[in-house]
Amino acid sequence: MVMQASFESIQPNGVLDGTQAIQFRNNVSDLVNKGTKVILVNLKDVTFMDSSGLAAIVIALKTVRSVGGRLCICSINDQVRLLFELTSMTRVFEIFPDQDEFVKTL
Amino acid sequence: MQTNLSVSTNGSPELPYRAHLQLNTDLNLLAQVLAWFEQFNQPPVPYSVWLECQLALAEGFTNAVRHAHEDQPTDAPIEIEVTVQRQAIEIRIWDVGAEFDLEQRLSNTPPIEDEAVHGRGLDIIKKIATTLSYSHIGQRNCLLIIKNYE
Repeated sequence: MVMQASFESIQPNGVLDGTQAIQFRNNVSDLVNKGTKVILVNLKDVTFMDSSGLAAIVIALKTVRSVGGRLCICSINDQVRLLFELTSMTRVFEIFPDQDEFVKTL
Repeated sequence: MQTNLSVSTNGSPELPYRAHLQLNTDLNLLAQVLAWFEQFNQPPVPYSVWLECQLALAEGFTNAVRHAHEDQPTDAPIEIEVTVQRQAIEIRIWDVGAEFDLEQRLSNTPPIEDEAVHGRGLDIIKKIATTLSYSHIGQRNCLLIIKNYE
């Protein structure tokens, strides 16, 4: 019998800032509460992220890690990459070019 | 919104090129700020500089809403003025909040840890800006971010 590695993905869109942060954190908490251990945050539809959006992802990462889970990120644009680099988040998050590259690591 | 894009004979905008935008104290207006700032994504501003300034502007605007205007009504005005010079771009963000000593805040703040959640906005602006100041002028405060192209 083959173990099927599973994950859930969250796909925010538009401007990920303070106004979207609570919704995002609630989505992650809901997934963790129902037992999800691996979450992919797919940012392909996020056009812009500010430090409040970044804070929401950092909190999500801590939430997932607290239950021994894994949170990864994929498909970031130039702006999000700049934000991650300026805040040294590139060494905190596991970041993949796209969902397919992430799935290969399961 | 004001746009005065005078174009010289070689097709580039005449410099200095300046535009300004006035907003209420409302975090939901960030998308409007970003849309307005698109007009500066063109020569002589390099794309990498424009991208950095877009982020600095967003952080400056949300800081004004959250902190400078913490005790202000929603209709307290925040004014943004951007000037494109030949070698640099200048961003001014005006608020009507209480005076605040930015120098002291920057010098007294310990380095931000990797997984910290709050307090990154000002740190991000400081990393991006070539020159950064916050002055009380008349009845308002002005956050001035200057970014050289090189």
